[in-house]
Amino acid sequence: MNIVVCVKQVPDTWAERTLRPEDSRLDRASVDGVINELDEYAIEEGLRLAEAHEGEVTILTMGPDKASESIRKALSMGADKAVHVIDDGLAGSDALQTSAVLAQVLGRIGFDLVILGAESTDARMGVMAAMLAERLGVPQVSLASKVEVDGTALRIHRQRDYGYDKVEASLPAVISVVEKINEPRYPSFKGIMAAKKKPVETVTLADTGLDAGQVGLAAAATEVVSFANRPPRQAGTVVKDEGDGGTKAAEFLAGQKFI
Amino acid sequence: MDFAEYPDRAAIRDTVAAITRSFGSSYYSAHAEGRIATDELWAALAKQGFVGINLPERFGGGGAGLAELALVCEETAAQGCPMLLLLVSSAISGEVIARYGSEAQQQTWLPQLASGETRIVFAITEPDAGSNTHQLSTTAVRDGEEWLLSGTKYYISGVDGAGAILVVARTGTDAQTGHGLLSLFLVPPDAPGLTAQPLPVAAALPEQQFTLFFDGVRVGADQLVGDENDGFTQVFHGLNPERITGAAICVGIGRYALARASAYARERDVWGVPIGAHQGVSHPLAKAAIEVELAALMTAKAAWLHDHGQPAGEASNMAKYAAAEAALAAVDAAIQTHGGNGLSAEYGLVPLWSVARLLRIAPVNREMILNYVAGHTLGLPRSY
Ligand SMILES: Cc1cc2nc3c(=O)[nH]c(=O)nc-3n(C[C@H](O)[C@H](O)[C@H](O)COP(=O)(O)OP(=O)(O)OC[C@H]3O[C@@H](n4cnc5c(N)ncnc54)[C@H](O)[C@@H]3O)c2cc1C
Repeated sequence: MNIVVCVKQVPDTWAERTLRPEDSRLDRASVDGVINELDEYAIEEGLRLAEAHEGEVTILTMGPDKASESIRKALSMGADKAVHVIDDGLAGSDALQTSAVLAQVLGRIGFDLVILGAESTDARMGVMAAMLAERLGVPQVSLASKVEVDGTALRIHRQRDYGYDKVEASLPAVISVVEKINEPRYPSFKGIMAAKKKPVETVTLADTGLDAGQVGLAAAATEVVSFANRPPRQAGTVVKDEGDGGTKAAEFLAGQKFI
Repeated sequence: MDFAEYPDRAAIRDTVAAITRSFGSSYYSAHAEGRIATDELWAALAKQGFVGINLPERFGGGGAGLAELALVCEETAAQGCPMLLLLVSSAISGEVIARYGSEAQQQTWLPQLASGETRIVFAITEPDAGSNTHQLSTTAVRDGEEWLLSGTKYYISGVDGAGAILVVARTGTDAQTGHGLLSLFLVPPDAPGLTAQPLPVAAALPEQQFTLFFDGVRVGADQLVGDENDGFTQVFHGLNPERITGAAICVGIGRYALARASAYARERDVWGVPIGAHQGVSHPLAKAAIEVELAALMTAKAAWLHDHGQPAGEASNMAKYAAAEAALAAVDAAIQTHGGNGLSAEYGLVPLWSVARLLRIAPVNREMILNYVAGHTLGLPRSY
């Protein structure tokens, strides 16, 4: 089984993230880059499926030079090889454009299964799996908390508020995964050393066959018109326990519609 | 000269830090306060190949060097979880057995050390022969093909949970100098005639210490490591790794303490400005940051020398000295920065002080290092 996991490098979720005033884009340079958290679950699922079905896992990343750190980490977790789409002309691309680029590459390298994290911690659009499936003309099964492959049959549990739906599709397909699906592994020391020798193919914009005018910030279909910093955090509410602390805490939670 | 951090070193750091972070510094401090071994973290690190990173590949180790083991020691400590037994089991015992152990000993022990299944602890210190190894009085006397071990060792860490103890014993006396001739033996903790008695220490550590009484403990010739009477040389091969990893743990403790202290000093505000704005708070932290960084450089140099088969005694000693002093300065400044919270169980700084304070005394004390530098580096005469 030929599995491709799409991995995005995002600014460290724990770091202070800011938008750049000049072009309203996320300042990626001044923060550490990490693998988007849900993509780690996607990698883990890819590795488990590959182990169970004698498959091969390819990491597909579009991003600047720095994204090679994340590719390396994915390879050290056990993926077999990677494709890195890297081109200055791609900077500032939105989801629609990114999906066009990734779909072109996926079409060329081929796949039985494409796995993505359900959303990224930076843009939080949660649309990439749908866009890729549409462009590639294959089924999308989204928000998977469990995945089973049997021949070309694909069965997942799709996470819902009330539990899960059972959804079936046939390969080739695109799936997006949620955190509940597994526990991503840590790289091993051997994995770290082996990652150095695994093939990473770099792909430029020209290689994808797309026109430079179709991608990048200038041609993006979406635009950040304005942005404002999040208001400073409000002081918390202190509930003093005078024998009725439990009731007061419950009233507070009910007042905020938490319960 | 090249100070670049290579990607694989960064990856080792990141991964060890991530594994340790999933346990957290409160895991360590609670275990230290309760004198409970941090076995779960040990197992998690071993599973990914980090405990045996320096052991030979053909026995399941990582095939890397001391530089990499030092990273593991530093990064676990830098997350608030110093792993003292790495210094004993992976550094000393691992290096000595990988170098001098028989094929059978290597096949028995190294895979188990690499997988984290067991540890081998190290027993040299005796009540009447501390810093002076020439005075060791635990003896191994030949009895046909076998040996009989008698004597007392104390402050031996981690005997509980060890598969074997690497014991340094006297097997003869040098006719010219009167110094003991030493040999190394692998002794199971449950050997008949061996009693291990817990030795309580007030320092908050998860590793327990023991007094070991050897009363005619019978060991076979296959338990002798390396050559008879060559123990001194062999132990020496393990001492630099022990000092380098001890230094690395101290560098990690220093980094952790400074990170915690500066985070606290940025937030805590008692006179209208964060306390970190007062130079009385910031300067001791800044000074410690410089000392920790310098110690880290020396530790890296010592590890490099050892891994390249070059004399590493001077650098290892200097690194261990500098790192223990830097860690103590950092933890002390961090405790002071935290005010009363510095001594609380919640903030977990006191257990780290315990480790840093221990590493000023052990595996070799500060004064013996100064003696070494005075004699070896500066050519000064000895007082002893
Ligand atoms: C928690 C803990 C864990 C330990 N774990 C182990 C272990 O696993 N295995 C093991 O074998 N040992 C272990 N030790 C023992 C440790 O290595 C020794 O305590 C240390 O080497 C010092 O020896 P000593 O205590 O006999 O001190 P001594 O040799 O009695 O020295 C006491 C002090 O005198 C000074 N001094 C000594 N000689 C000189 C000199 N020539 N010049 C100037 N000053 C001098 C130093 O300041 C020294 O601190 C452990 C100790 C502790 C506290």
